[in-house]
Amino acid sequence: MSPFILSILLLGLGLGTTITFASSHWLLAWMGLENNTLAIIPLMAQHHHPRAAEATTKYFLTQATAAAMLLFATTSNAWLSGQWHILQMNHPLPTTLITLALALKIGLAPMHAWLPEVLQGLNLTTGLILSTWQKLAPFALLLQVQQTNPALTIMLGITSMLIGGWAGLNQTQLRKILAYSSIAHLGWMLIVIQFSPSLALLTLLLYFIMTSSAFLSFKLNNTTNINSLATSWAKMPTLTSLAPLILLSLAGLPPLTGFMPKWLIIQELTKQGLAPTATLAALSALLSLYFYLRLAYAMTLTISPNNLTGTTPWRLPSNQLTLPLAASVTATNFLLPLSPPILSLLTP
Amino acid sequence: MLMILIPTLMLIPTAWASPLKWLWPTTLTHSLIIALASFTWFKAPSETGWHSINAYMALDPLSTPLLILTCWLTPLTILASQNHMSTEPAPRQRTYITLLISLQFFLILAFSATEIIMFYIMFEATLIPTLIIITRWGNQTERLNAGTYFLFYTLAGSLPLLVALLILQNNTGSLSLLILQYSDPLNLAPFTSKLWWAGCLMAFLVKMPLYGIHLWLPKAHVEAPIAGSMILAAVLLKLGGYGMMRITTMLDPLTKELSYPFIILALWGVIMTASICLRQTDLKSLIAYSSVSHMGLVIAAILTQTPWGFTGALILMIAHGLTSSALFCLANTNYERTHSRTMILTRGLQIALPLMTTWWFTASLANLALPPLPNLMGELTIITSLFGWSWWTLLLTGAGTLITANYSLHMFLMTQRGPLPHHITNLDPTHSREHLLMALHLLPLILLMLKPSLIWGWTA
Amino acid sequence: MVNFVALAREHWVNILVPMGFVIGYYLDRKQDQKLTAFRNKSVLYSRELKPGEEVTWK
Repeated sequence: MSPFILSILLLGLGLGTTITFASSHWLLAWMGLENNTLAIIPLMAQHHHPRAAEATTKYFLTQATAAAMLLFATTSNAWLSGQWHILQMNHPLPTTLITLALALKIGLAPMHAWLPEVLQGLNLTTGLILSTWQKLAPFALLLQVQQTNPALTIMLGITSMLIGGWAGLNQTQLRKILAYSSIAHLGWMLIVIQFSPSLALLTLLLYFIMTSSAFLSFKLNNTTNINSLATSWAKMPTLTSLAPLILLSLAGLPPLTGFMPKWLIIQELTKQGLAPTATLAALSALLSLYFYLRLAYAMTLTISPNNLTGTTPWRLPSNQLTLPLAASVTATNFLLPLSPPILSLLTP
Repeated sequence: MLMILIPTLMLIPTAWASPLKWLWPTTLTHSLIIALASFTWFKAPSETGWHSINAYMALDPLSTPLLILTCWLTPLTILASQNHMSTEPAPRQRTYITLLISLQFFLILAFSATEIIMFYIMFEATLIPTLIIITRWGNQTERLNAGTYFLFYTLAGSLPLLVALLILQNNTGSLSLLILQYSDPLNLAPFTSKLWWAGCLMAFLVKMPLYGIHLWLPKAHVEAPIAGSMILAAVLLKLGGYGMMRITTMLDPLTKELSYPFIILALWGVIMTASICLRQTDLKSLIAYSSVSHMGLVIAAILTQTPWGFTGALILMIAHGLTSSALFCLANTNYERTHSRTMILTRGLQIALPLMTTWWFTASLANLALPPLPNLMGELTIITSLFGWSWWTLLLTGAGTLITANYSLHMFLMTQRGPLPHHITNLDPTHSREHLLMALHLLPLILLMLKPSLIWGWTA
Repeated sequence: MVNFVALAREHWVNILVPMGFVIGYYLDRKQDQKLTAFRNKSVLYSRELKPGEEVTWK
């Protein structure tokens, strides 16, 4: 893609999120979200094969629906309360509608069906942008909406964790696995969003780091399904030996960074008296652990001199920068001892 | 405490920077030096019971023997792995040693943690190196299944433990082991308090393992390479026992009624797994089931919550750690020569390897709890404390002792006595490395007879 | 002993663990010194020293 067009689109993405961050008026926030959608559409469709076109169309339709729902909810809020300020929204109808609209935007269950198919049609870089950057703006709005119905976000959270775990079990395509992992992690964020928004933000940021490690390491291997991961030990042995740690961090195993959000969220939930919910959430993490473990087995723990599950592809030298991967892998694995300063940064 | 922890950390750069020719001797020597330095922990004057106190770590008579066992076992695992790793490329040998050292690091932090959440994090952290050792360096395809069972059984038990610990923290404000025994009991609703009790103990019961949730253990032990089996049997199971002993101080008075089914299950498991041992064809599987059997006694003893019970549990944990690890090493010497674990294929070894028979004999006698070895001391103390809890347990524990003697003798006679099969008449003679390994396992066990108060725990 | 330089170049790794031991021992002593502020201050365990007795830890 021409560098001018690419920079216009990326700047558009940045502008959209920034507009949503900076806005206190619902219409401006909606405008930022639409800007994001429009900017990423050409990025998704840049490789003109039918799968990409299909993914782009699905993404556009779902995001447009969500934006329309958002517009309807904010208009009814303006009708009911006479003002458009984001932080002053108390009536249950618009609040619930907005939560559901934003949940559709980021791909929470039960509005998650578009995410695996859209992610499958994209290349890994655009998939990374979709999984990370595109979640920021709707999430910022979710953090600011006052939840009049406490059960709603908890139900969204638990459903997402369970569906993300269960549906990912049957996948062999890496992008779909990462989509279901995204759904599960968003579930963790939603479950605590009404009790401690800063914890939800921490979970989001840590999820960004962990999923960037995963996406970038898959991109370096140039693989999109599990079988082709089997030859990565021959191409990049160090990354192959670190990959189980990245995957187990995504699964939330101590002493890796991924444990930090789970631990803090369970602590917050037990403080609020929701211990059975916390136990259910913790056990649902075991579902996603299974497919992360399967990926770790395929990539690292069954390497030579065992039989390989894939055939060796042509190996061309890669032009990819490895610094982002190195930084994100380090952060994915070793940030747990730094929990106290990280917490103090995020909680006022 | 840092006196041992920092050298352990420095072993990792030592493993990566040593020239390949000197890799194994260097790491072995330095880990042995660390093990010898850890013996200074035995001498610990203090009024409160806790010594070598740090901001996050402390030692008391319960954790000291387990810590010294951990530090002692690491050089033994390095010594045992030297042969089968010699065919691997150099970076993988270094990675293997790094995994063993990181296990020691996490185990030291786990046993010496003063705050229970730190104990929890280190308890879980030991899973990752063990998983990698089992699934990457195990020898059969079943190792993947074994790793999955191992990880999932342990995590399914320990995630409720995390919730239970956080409930405890919210109620009492602190999870420091130094003061938790003096805190007030928790006021929860009756049903909730029963669930909380179960949540606290489940993780450790799965780890020990309790009969009924023990399925991960035979798989993991059999499929693991020798270092994995050693560290699993000798130390990782004891993490469960240690955790139980720490947490039961806070679980009174619920334990009086709630422990009934678990004590019965544990004792029944002693008999059942001992009987299974009698029918095993796989040597490592026999030793694995014998571990379940011994740990069943430990669980029952801890749940009686008497001083004799705790003492017996600790003695049996240490003695069993050394014995079980020795038996796995012996099984490994067979496996390295014949690449088979089937017992009837590796019989009559007294004719081929007579000096090794001494070690087989000693280890089997230790396993069946021959007096005056510490194994008997532990088992007898446990049987006595259980008898005090209820007279009927004597039937189960007595029968258990009998069947234990039965299968230990069966294991010895099967592998050592009888005719040597024709296909293994050309076995390599025993290396002095293997003799050293066995000696380093069994000599501490014999020496502990002379001063058993070292491993008596709080009653010392 | 034949060639100190070659000895040092080939076996320098052997110094890492003893160095760690020394650092750890030193840090432990400093920690003990910090904890002497709490010596004999416990409500539960404080007591007067008997005539010939020294403190149990320094």
